[in-house]
Amino acid sequence: MKLADTHIASLSSLTLAQRPIPQALVLELLNHAVWAPTHRLREPWSFIYISHDNRGQLDFLNKQASAHLILTMKADNDVHKEDENAAAIFCLIQNFQLLAWEKKLAVKVSFHEWMYDRSYMNKLNVPEKEKLVAVLDLGFYIESQAASPAPSAELNWSLL
Amino acid sequence: MSLEQLIRSRRTIRKFNNLPVSQELVISLLQRAEQLCPYEGEARWRYVFAGSPEARERLANYMLEKVTDNKVAKLLLGKLSESFHKRIVEVPANVIVIAKKSSNSQINDENYGNVCRILQNFQLLGWEERLGMAWITEPYIQTETFFERITIQEDERFVGILQIGYFDKQPKGRGRTPAERKWKERQEEELIR
Repeated sequence: MKLADTHIASLSSLTLAQRPIPQALVLELLNHAVWAPTHRLREPWSFIYISHDNRGQLDFLNKQASAHLILTMKADNDVHKEDENAAAIFCLIQNFQLLAWEKKLAVKVSFHEWMYDRSYMNKLNVPEKEKLVAVLDLGFYIESQAASPAPSAELNWSLL
Repeated sequence: MSLEQLIRSRRTIRKFNNLPVSQELVISLLQRAEQLCPYEGEARWRYVFAGSPEARERLANYMLEKVTDNKVAKLLLGKLSESFHKRIVEVPANVIVIAKKSSNSQINDENYGNVCRILQNFQLLGWEERLGMAWITEPYIQTETFFERITIQEDERFVGILQIGYFDKQPKGRGRTPAERKWKERQEEELIR
């Protein structure tokens, strides 16, 4: 199927199957997703993976999900460079979400207040000079759920 | 083409042929790109299109204004900046992407992230139609003057210019580092404490 004919939904709008996610699958998808555009091939991303053995014990993460993939990048004094790096990581995230959907794996791209709190970063072993970009909440969705096409919204469009 | 192939084969295209790219096609691809990006909260971003010969000329002038304003640079660059100007004008279609800023880091980052995800969908959907793109953020255009010209407001930020066109030659891929080398795992038990 063409990407143009695909519909996807966020994990937060789906019923999830309570089954574990093979780590090998996440890595397989990531190895396709890293073909995101990246300025000067800096590949600014790093991954921290947390799978839930005891679901719901980590109150700072989405309890609905079976696993989490946290994306981090090096902090940079150059604002533009940091923006470019974040942009590359969001492209990777989008690739990952599209690829995961084909494997019945739903993704929610989450942002939390604690992501800016150094004590949480230490807990997650995020090195001093890195920052968190996003947390992906992952879970298999129950197959019978088809994503309905999202309504097509008007673009905020103007001419130069 | 499978999704994997699509993602792995997409390249940044900087040299376009002269086939026209219609505004309607760009709008319909961007609408599909937005539909393929589930997000929460409101859409706080906008697009400014430069596709007509006049708008492309204007955009090239704005992009090179800082360079050609500087007499020394103009003298040194001379012909070079002329050919650079021509290359910019020749890009069949341009979408300038602008996002709202927020003093709340979380909202600010989330909004920027959403629009970046949409632009990746847009690049993939374009590639599926043999349409190439380059996402331009070069330092020489990151100036107050340029931002003013393209109507960026106080509470907005520049995301980039998407240069769009059909192409004859496809660059080779440059390979990527295996994800395993950038991967760490944390056990839930260690985090509960």
